[in-house]
Amino acid sequence: MTNQVNAASVTKAAKPVKKKKIASLDRRKARAGWLFVLPFVLGFVLIYIPILIESVQYSFNVYRVLDDVVIKEFVGWKNYSDALFSDADFVQTLLTGLQEMAFDIPAILIFSLFVAVILNQKMVGRAAFRAIFFLPVVLSTGLMESILMTSHAEGGEGMDLGMEESAADKMKSAMALETLLMSIFDGLGFGSGLVTYIVTAVQEIATIINRSGVQILIFLAALQSISPAIYESCQIDGATSWETFWKITFPMVSPMILVNAVYTIIDNFTTDSNSVMMKINATYQTNMHISSAMGWMYFLLVLVIVGLIAAICSAFVFYQRRD
Amino acid sequence: MTQNIDRKPQVKKETKNKIRVEFERTALKDRLKAKYVSAFFLKRALWYIFRLLLLIGIAFVILQPFYTLISKSLMAPQDFVDASVVKVPRHLSMGIYRAIIVDVQYFKFFFTTLGLSLACALLQTFAACLVGYGLAKFKFRGNKIVFFAVILSLVIPHGTLQSAIYFHFSYFDILGILKFFSGGARTGIVGIDSILSKIHILPWPKGINMMNSIIPLILLSICGLAFKNGLYIFMLRQFFRGVPDELEESAYLDGANTFRTFWQIILPLSIPMMITVFLFAFCWQWTDDFYVRLFYISVDKPSLMTYMSDGLPLSFASLITSYTEITHQSADYVQAMKYGCGVMICLPLTILYLFCQKFLVQGIERSGIVG
Repeated sequence: MTNQVNAASVTKAAKPVKKKKIASLDRRKARAGWLFVLPFVLGFVLIYIPILIESVQYSFNVYRVLDDVVIKEFVGWKNYSDALFSDADFVQTLLTGLQEMAFDIPAILIFSLFVAVILNQKMVGRAAFRAIFFLPVVLSTGLMESILMTSHAEGGEGMDLGMEESAADKMKSAMALETLLMSIFDGLGFGSGLVTYIVTAVQEIATIINRSGVQILIFLAALQSISPAIYESCQIDGATSWETFWKITFPMVSPMILVNAVYTIIDNFTTDSNSVMMKINATYQTNMHISSAMGWMYFLLVLVIVGLIAAICSAFVFYQRRD
Repeated sequence: MTQNIDRKPQVKKETKNKIRVEFERTALKDRLKAKYVSAFFLKRALWYIFRLLLLIGIAFVILQPFYTLISKSLMAPQDFVDASVVKVPRHLSMGIYRAIIVDVQYFKFFFTTLGLSLACALLQTFAACLVGYGLAKFKFRGNKIVFFAVILSLVIPHGTLQSAIYFHFSYFDILGILKFFSGGARTGIVGIDSILSKIHILPWPKGINMMNSIIPLILLSICGLAFKNGLYIFMLRQFFRGVPDELEESAYLDGANTFRTFWQIILPLSIPMMITVFLFAFCWQWTDDFYVRLFYISVDKPSLMTYMSDGLPLSFASLITSYTEITHQSADYVQAMKYGCGVMICLPLTILYLFCQKFLVQGIERSGIVG
C-alpha cells in the first residue's frame, strides 16, 4: 500500500525529486571528501596552527620559566632586531646561504635533467645504474648525512694528509682546473664567471649528486611519459638528437623543471645541513626566541624567492593540452 | 641489398620446422666496413663510451663514501697507524661489528627503531592516501584551501618550529579544552579564575606531557604532519588525479559506497605508489634525528638508531683502551666506530631498498606527477 503511494508520488513529482537527488549526491560527495581529508584538517587546525601561532609568539616575546611557571614578556620587534643587528653573523650567514642556494639550484636542475636523459636511454646495466643513483634519496638523509659527508671528505684524500695540506691540494687542483678551463673558454668567448661556476660545481659534485635523487626521479618519470611517436616523427623529419632535445624533450619536461625548482629550494632550505639552518639550530640552544625570529625571517625570505622563481618559470613552461 | 633479394635463394637443407638457405651475400669484410667504419657508428661509439664513463664516475662518487664506511670499519687497529694502508684494510677485523652487535646490543636498537619506523611509516602512508584521495577526487568547498595548507606544512621548515613543537607537546592541549576541564585555565580576572580552578573533570591542569614517548610522532603521523608528509600527500594526490573517474562511477553503480570504493578499487590500484611513499616514509623515519632528539629528552634514551652512535665511545671503552695502547691516539678509531654504526644503520634500509627499488620509478611514473 505504502509502496504504491510512494511510487505514485515519485512518478507525479519526478522532476523535483530527481533534482533534489542530484544535489544531495553532490553534497554527499562533498561530505565524503571532507571525511577523507579530515585527519589532516583536524591535525592542521588542532596541532599545526597552534604550533605556528606559538612559534610566531616566541619571536615577539621572551619567555622565562620560574619555578615551573612560564612568564611571558612582550618585547615587540626586539628579537628580530637582535637577530639582524646584534647577532654577529646572522646576516652574513643568510647572505652566504642565499648565495649557495642561487648556486646550487641551477646546478642541481641541470645535473638531474642530464642524468635523467641518460638514464632514460636503453643501455646495458640501466637497472643497476638507476638503483645506484636513487640510493642517496633513501640513505643519505638525517642521521646518515653527516656520517657520509665525513667519510666522503676522508675518502677523497690519503690517510696521512693533514687537513691543511689537503685544503692546499684542493686549492691547487681547483686553480689548475680553472686555468685550463679559462684557456679553453676564453677562446670561445665565455666570461670568467661561468668558468668559476663550473669549477665550483665540479668541486661540489658530491653534494650536488647526493641532493638530486628525487629530482632525477621526477625528471625520469616526465621523460617516460613523453610519447615515443613524437620522437619517431622527429627522426623521420631528420632532426638530430640535439635538436630533438631542445625542441621536444625540453619543452615537454618544462613543467617538471618548475616543480623540481620549487622542490629543490624547499628541500635545500629545510635540510639541517644548510648553513642558515645550522646557525638557527645553534642559536636555538642559547636563545630560542631569537632563533624563532631568525627562522621566520628566513622562511619569509625563501617564500618570496619560491614565489619569484615559480612566477618566472611558469612564464616559460609549456603545457601540452591532452584533452 | 636489392640484388640479394632478387637472386633466388638456394635451399640447402629442410626439416620439419627448420630451413637452411644459402644465398650469395656481400662479403663479410664489406659488411663489417659498412657497419663499423662510418661517422654514424663512430659518433654512437664515442657517445656510448662517454656515457658509460660518466655514469660509472657518478656511481663512483655515490658509492665511494659507502665503501670508505665499510673498509674503515673493517680495519684492525694496527691498520690505522700503518701509513701504507689507505683504502683496503690489510688486517681484517670484525671487532667493531662484534662490539656493535654484542656490547651495544644492536638488535635491541634494531627492533625498537623498526617498531617506531614501521608504525609511523604505515600511518603516514595511510593518512597520505586518505588525504590525497580526498583532495584529488572530491570537489568540496575548501578543497583548494586544504591543498594550500598541505603545501604550507611542507614549506615551513621544522627547524623554525622546533621550540613551539617542543612546548606544544610538553603541555599538550586541544585549544585549551583539556585545561578548562581540569581547572587549569586562567583569564587573569580573579573572580573567574577562582571558579575555573574548581573544575576537576580531567586530571591535566597543565596539559598532557607527551615528551619521552612515541605519542607525538604517532599523532603527527596520523594527521600527515610529520617529516615531509606534505610531499607524500602531494604525490598521492597527483596519482589519484590520474585514475579515471569511470572506475569509481562503475563501483558506485554496483552499489559500493565511497569508502568501500576507496578500499576495494582505489587502494589495490595504487600499490606501487604506496610502496614508493612507504619506502620514503620508512627510510626517512629510520634515519630521522630531528624529531627523535626533540621528543626524547630524558636521560635514559630509548634504543633508537639516532642514539646508537652517541653512546659508542662508552660502550667501546675496552676496545678503545686496547687500541690506544698500540697507537697512542683514538680519534681515528672512534671515527671508524661511527662508520661501523653507519653501515649497521644503512644495512636494513639497503636491503629494503633493493626489494622496493623497481616500484620506485614505476610508482612515480604512474603517479601522473608528470601530466
